[in-house]
Amino acid sequence: MHVLITGIQILLPVLYFCTIWAYARSFFSSLRIAGTLKTPLLICTIVVHALYIVLRTFVFGHPPITSIFEILTLIAFTIALVYGYIEFKTANSSTGYFILILPFFFQVVSSLFIKEASEIPTMLRSNLLGFHVTSALLGYAAITISAVYGFLYLMLYHDIKSSQFGLIYKRLPNLEVLERMSFTATIFGFLLLTVAIIVGLVWLPRVLGVIPYTDPKLFGTVAIWLIYAVGLTAKKVIGWQGKRIIVLSMFGFVIAMFSMTIINMFFSGFHRFY
Amino acid sequence: MNIHCLGISHHTAAIEIREKLWFSLQEIPPLLSSLKEKYMSEAVLISTCNRTELYYVPRENSLNGTPIWKMLAQAKGVGQEVGDQHFYSKSSEEAVAHLFRVSAGIDSMVLGDVQILNQMKEAFTIAQEQRCTGTITNRLFHTAFHVGKRARTETEIGEGAVSISYAATELASKIFEDLSRRTALLIGAGNTGKLTAKHLAGRELGQLLITNRTRSRAEELVALLGGRVVDFDRFPAELPAVDIVISSVEAPNYVLTAKDLHSVMKQRGNRPLFLIDIGVPRNIEPAANRIGNVFLHDIDALNQIVDQNLAHRKEEIPKIERLIGEELTEFSSWVGSLEVTPTIQQLREHFEFIRQEEVGKHLHHFAADKQAEVEMLTKRIVNKLLHTPMVNLKSTEEIPGMEDTRAKLSLLRHLFGLDKKNRS
Repeated sequence: MHVLITGIQILLPVLYFCTIWAYARSFFSSLRIAGTLKTPLLICTIVVHALYIVLRTFVFGHPPITSIFEILTLIAFTIALVYGYIEFKTANSSTGYFILILPFFFQVVSSLFIKEASEIPTMLRSNLLGFHVTSALLGYAAITISAVYGFLYLMLYHDIKSSQFGLIYKRLPNLEVLERMSFTATIFGFLLLTVAIIVGLVWLPRVLGVIPYTDPKLFGTVAIWLIYAVGLTAKKVIGWQGKRIIVLSMFGFVIAMFSMTIINMFFSGFHRFY
Repeated sequence: MNIHCLGISHHTAAIEIREKLWFSLQEIPPLLSSLKEKYMSEAVLISTCNRTELYYVPRENSLNGTPIWKMLAQAKGVGQEVGDQHFYSKSSEEAVAHLFRVSAGIDSMVLGDVQILNQMKEAFTIAQEQRCTGTITNRLFHTAFHVGKRARTETEIGEGAVSISYAATELASKIFEDLSRRTALLIGAGNTGKLTAKHLAGRELGQLLITNRTRSRAEELVALLGGRVVDFDRFPAELPAVDIVISSVEAPNYVLTAKDLHSVMKQRGNRPLFLIDIGVPRNIEPAANRIGNVFLHDIDALNQIVDQNLAHRKEEIPKIERLIGEELTEFSSWVGSLEVTPTIQQLREHFEFIRQEEVGKHLHHFAADKQAEVEMLTKRIVNKLLHTPMVNLKSTEEIPGMEDTRAKLSLLRHLFGLDKKNRS
C-alpha cells in the first residue's frame, strides 16, 4: 500500500505536467493532437489524484490536512477539480493552461516534501477540524481561480485597449465571461472562507479555551475577509466594475497566499502543528 | 490527362472586362450545351464576380483555346472588347491543380474565401443537369470539393476577420458575451459602417439605432437593416443605453469628445462601451480611449487586425499546397488506372488469384496424376471467361450512356472491386 502511495506520489506531478503541456500546446500553437488529448489527460489526472487522497486517508488514518505539504496536494486537487467543472459548464477550454499551472506547481512541492509524521496530535483527528480545513481549502482554491481569471481579464483588457491582437486576443474567451467567472469564483471563495472562519472561531474556544487575538494568522485571515467583503459590497452597492474589482480580488489572493504559507510557517502560534 | 481549363480572373483582367463575361445561372445551360455539342465530351462552367472558368474534356486533342473563348465572348455579345490576353489556359495536371487551388480558396481575391466552394457546387450541379459532366469531371469536381473541405478543416486558411466590418464585429464579441442584450448605434451611412451593423445584426444584436444628419437616409437604412431612427440632434441622449457605437460621418470636428464620453460613462455606471470610429477624419476624440472600460478603435486598429489575419492565412498556404499535392497525386493515379492495359492486367490477376485459391483448397481431392489436368482445366475456364470482356473492352464501339472507354473501365473496376485491391 505504501508502495502504491509513493508510486502515485511520483506519478502525479508527471501527469500534471503532461496535462499542462497539452493545454499549452493547444493554446499557443494549436497543435491538433494536444487539443484532443488535453481534457482526457485532465480527467485521468483528477481521478488518479482522488485515488491518492483516498488512499492516504485510509492508510494513515486521517485526511491529509496535518502538514502544509498535505494541504498543498489537497489544494492542487481542488483547483483541478473546480477547473474541470468550469470547463465542462462553459464548454471552453482555452483558459486551462493558466489555471492548471498552479495545481502542477503545488503538487510538485507536495510530492517532493510530503512525509508522514510519526505522531499526529489528537486534535488533528477531530471531524470539526476536518470541516474547518476543508472549507478553508475550497475557499482558497476558489480565490486562486478567481485571481487567475482576474489576471486573464486584465491581460485581455490591456491588449484590446492598446490594439494588440495577438494570441491572447484570439484564444481567450470574451471580457464579460472572464469577469463573470472571476466574480463567481470570488463569491464562492468568500462564502467558504466565512464558513471556515466561523467554524474556527467556534471550535477554537472548545480546544484552547482562549482565543489569542494577537496571533498573526488571525490578523491575516481577518484582513483577507475584509478585503473581499469590501470588494463585494462595492460591486453590489456602488457598482464598481471590471478592472477595479479584479485588481482588488487579485490583491486579496496575494494576501491569502501569504497568510497560508508564510504566516503559517513562521509566525503563527496556534495554527502550527508540526 | 485530357483535362483543360480556360478562364478569365482577377489575375488577368480588370473588373470592367470580367463583368462583361459574367454568366448568370440562367445563361450557363444553353452555352454549356452548345460547347459540348461542338467541341467537348465533358464541360463545367464556373462564373463569379471574380472569375469565369471552363473546365473541359475535349473530343479532339488538338483543340485550342481560341474558338472556345471566342464562343464565350460571342454568347455575351462582347467579341470586340475581349482579347486573347485576358484569358489563361491550362491543361492536364496544371488544370487540376488550379481547380484545387480555387476550391481551397487560395486563388481568390480574398485569401481563404469560403463563398467560392458553394459557387463551384452550384456550377457543377447545373452542368450535371445539362448532362455535360462525365466520368472525369464527376471525379474531378468531387475531389475539388473534398480539397476545399480539407483546406478549411485541416488549416486555418479561413480563420480570422479579413474585412474591417468583420474585424469590428469580432472585436465586439471579444468584449461582450451576449450581443442579443446589447444596443448599437450607427451614426452616418458609410458602406463599412452599414456592413458592420449588418454583421452585428447577423449575430443577433439586441437593438439597432440609426441616426443621420439627413433623416430620410436613416429611414432608408432602417428599412434595409431593421432597428429604429433617432434624430441626429437627439442621439447623445441615447448614448447611456448604447453599448456599441459605429461612427462613419464626414465632419470637420469630433462628433463625440472625451468629455462627452466621460459623462456618458458615469451615467452608464462604467459598463463597457465599444466605439468603432470609421470616419476620416476621425469622428471620436482619441483621448476617450483613456477612460476606463471605453474601447475606442479607429480604422488603423481594425486594419491591423485584418493585416494580421491575412498574414496568418498566407502562412497556411504551404500546408494547402502540400494537401493539393497529395490529392493531385491520387487523382492522377486514378486517371491512369482508367487506361485499358493496367485494368486488364488487374482483372487477370483477380481471376487468377481466385483460381489458385480454389484449386489449392480442393486439389488434394484429386489423384496425383490428375492434378496437372485440373490446373490446365481451370486455367482454360478462366481464359475463356475473360476473353469476351477483353475484346469488348478494347473495341472502340460505343455503348449508349458510356460514351468513352473510361466509363466502361470505371464500371468494370467498380464491379470487380479492383480499386480496393489497388489501394492495399
